[in-house]
Amino acid sequence: MDWTTLPWDKIFVIVTVLIAGPGIIIGITVPAIGQAFVAASGLKAISRQPEAGDKINSIVLLSLAMLESLAIYILAVILILVFANPMQSYILGG
Amino acid sequence: MTWIKKHLSTFLLIFLILAFALIGFQLRKTEDVESASIAEEITPSVVFEAGPLQVTSTVVNTWIMIVIIGGLSYFVGRSFKVHPGFVQNAIEWLREAVNGIITANIDHEDTSLFLPLVISLAVFIGCANLLGLLPVLDSPTQDINTPLAMALVVFLSVPYFGIRTRGLGKYLKHYVEPIFLMLPIEIASEIARTFSLTFRLFGNIIGEEIIIAILFVIAPFVVPVPMMLFSIFTGVLQAYIFTLLTCVYIGGAVKAHQSTN
Repeated sequence: MDWTTLPWDKIFVIVTVLIAGPGIIIGITVPAIGQAFVAASGLKAISRQPEAGDKINSIVLLSLAMLESLAIYILAVILILVFANPMQSYILGG
Repeated sequence: MTWIKKHLSTFLLIFLILAFALIGFQLRKTEDVESASIAEEITPSVVFEAGPLQVTSTVVNTWIMIVIIGGLSYFVGRSFKVHPGFVQNAIEWLREAVNGIITANIDHEDTSLFLPLVISLAVFIGCANLLGLLPVLDSPTQDINTPLAMALVVFLSVPYFGIRTRGLGKYLKHYVEPIFLMLPIEIASEIARTFSLTFRLFGNIIGEEIIIAILFVIAPFVVPVPMMLFSIFTGVLQAYIFTLLTCVYIGGAVKAHQSTN
């Protein structure tokens, strides 16, 4: 089989899309489960001790922001894969 | 008629959103929608070049925003009254809210030391996030350089406030506080949280912009409006989170001062 005559540009696009779709699904689901744990625990803590609500609230928001940044990293990686892949010129030779 | 009066602000909001959508639709119809790809939609365009520097549309939008916010603050600040009007009330509410975040996270008796930086960051990022909702204007935070500049300001202001409140020796000592092995971890976390701040803001705003751009390409009339409404929420929330994290980082540099006393 002659590897040089294969349509590498089409294969590149197909592989990128096939990686990007499942990647963003996994990368959003896992931080979402973590955020659900944080939100549920915060709600339990506030309902047990409503007078500590302000302090718990800010800590919960902080943890949610930290967990959200994981999903954002995945989004940034996927965006680079789809829109500005650094390997593109290497594979397609342009 | 009382029913209409009661919900007048809601009607006004819906009308405004529809008007914005219509204006955006008309403006986009004049361009060739078919050829406009989504990648071009989200990358900022170069307005002019000054030597080796390329001045993009997001930078020009930042200048416009700075002039408007600065002028508004100047003219409102000159005419403060004892009985506040609408604008003064809003600004006082904002100041109280930011002051609350500072007192909750920074253990220092003088909050006016941190207030100028923190409230400037909050107002700038909030306005920058919401600017993308206006038609033809790009949000400055959808260019990665603007969040990076904001995060670098935070990165430099943390040692500044630490040295100012504790002195140089005590500030440098907190890097090696429990044992000496903590030094590389502390330095790595200072660098990592700068990039984390950058990518959190940038990723949220660019994600919203991409979804709105995709919806505009598919169905340009009313379909993007719920997403634009949601991006108001996201923009304000991201400004709040950036402010909160800034206060937490500054508080981490300032706080040990209290415990050593």
